[in-house]
Amino acid sequence: MIVGEQKPLAEIKNIVAPYSKILILGCGTCVKTCFAGGEDEVATLASALRLSMKKDGREIKIDELTVERQCEDEFLRQAASNISGSEAVLSLACGAGVQMVADRFKKTPALPGVNTTFIGILEKQGLFTEKCLGCGDCVLDRFAGICPVTCCSKKLLNGPCGGSQNGKCEVNSDIECAWQNIIDRYKALGQMDRLTAYYPARDWRNSSAGGLRKLVREDHVI
Amino acid sequence: MSIPEQIKFKPKITVFHCFNAFSDPSLVSNGNFEVKSVKMACSSLTREVFLLRAFESGADAVVVLVCPVGQCDYLQGNIRAARRVARMKKLVDEIGIDGKRLNIYNVTRGDKSAVAEIIQKTVSDLAVLGPNPAA
Ligand code: SF4
Ligand code: SF4
Repeated sequence: MIVGEQKPLAEIKNIVAPYSKILILGCGTCVKTCFAGGEDEVATLASALRLSMKKDGREIKIDELTVERQCEDEFLRQAASNISGSEAVLSLACGAGVQMVADRFKKTPALPGVNTTFIGILEKQGLFTEKCLGCGDCVLDRFAGICPVTCCSKKLLNGPCGGSQNGKCEVNSDIECAWQNIIDRYKALGQMDRLTAYYPARDWRNSSAGGLRKLVREDHVI
Repeated sequence: MSIPEQIKFKPKITVFHCFNAFSDPSLVSNGNFEVKSVKMACSSLTREVFLLRAFESGADAVVVLVCPVGQCDYLQGNIRAARRVARMKKLVDEIGIDGKRLNIYNVTRGDKSAVAEIIQKTVSDLAVLGPNPAA
């Protein structure tokens, strides 16, 4: 899922300052799961903003709505009348959702209420960890299902580096050494011979280094 | 404890409580302050937005009463409530109306005098904090 975190209230207040009637638009998929932008977060933020504005002697009208996914027309369409009735939309989706709103509703400013952070997993309740950078050429088959591109601080395909200590990364001792984990898992899978394989430099043009990416599925284009 | 002299307003206190923790906090109201009670089937139902909406509805302080740790009928309701209240206290600070207006207490079941003390402490605190500036 896309993991994000709601921006601090003071920043959100600045972002919405020019408007007196806004829609807070939540997204019911990724950002709901990480407690940044689902129905509950929309309601809590709306209440916090109303209180804070009132304390400052300002009135703000806030409409609240959450659609299943802001990154799909099918769902975003359901917000059309709420959007047209507002001076601006404060989107609590990831950056993709905010841009979808901006693109589909050209006359209404689309404002971000969430810092989009990473693609990750729900490690355990309340803990989300980064797992994928969306590099466009997945190599997990070669690294025992652990991504060196994301999880190794130096993105080494031929690791480990010399700095790993007690299973921790030398860049930050709070981070597990990805290469230690890869080796442990090679052992568990009986694949230690893979450690001697050499992986040549990758072609990063499939990643964001090659400019804006696009995926076309001809079989779905009409 | 008597009501401090300097109180110039009639404080409104909203009390969210697990009905296992206490049956009816309005019992300790003495006429100089207003207590609104919101019963919950378990303190795990303490939702962040409800705490803020209590302030929007004019509460000067919000109190959450939960069972002592280890005594929640549903295991962790009181622990979850404490985490959420801690987070909301910070947000109430950010809102600018002072996180000290929001507090959570563990109360032994049926301990009316403990609840009365909590309410009196809240009234005393409000004498310093004053009315909710966003009410
Ligand atoms: S808009 Fe972003 S957060 Fe919402 S479903 Fe799409 S990718 Fe996930
Ligand atoms: S190799 Fe690329 S696509 Fe695969 S998990 Fe790592 S970053 Fe993601």
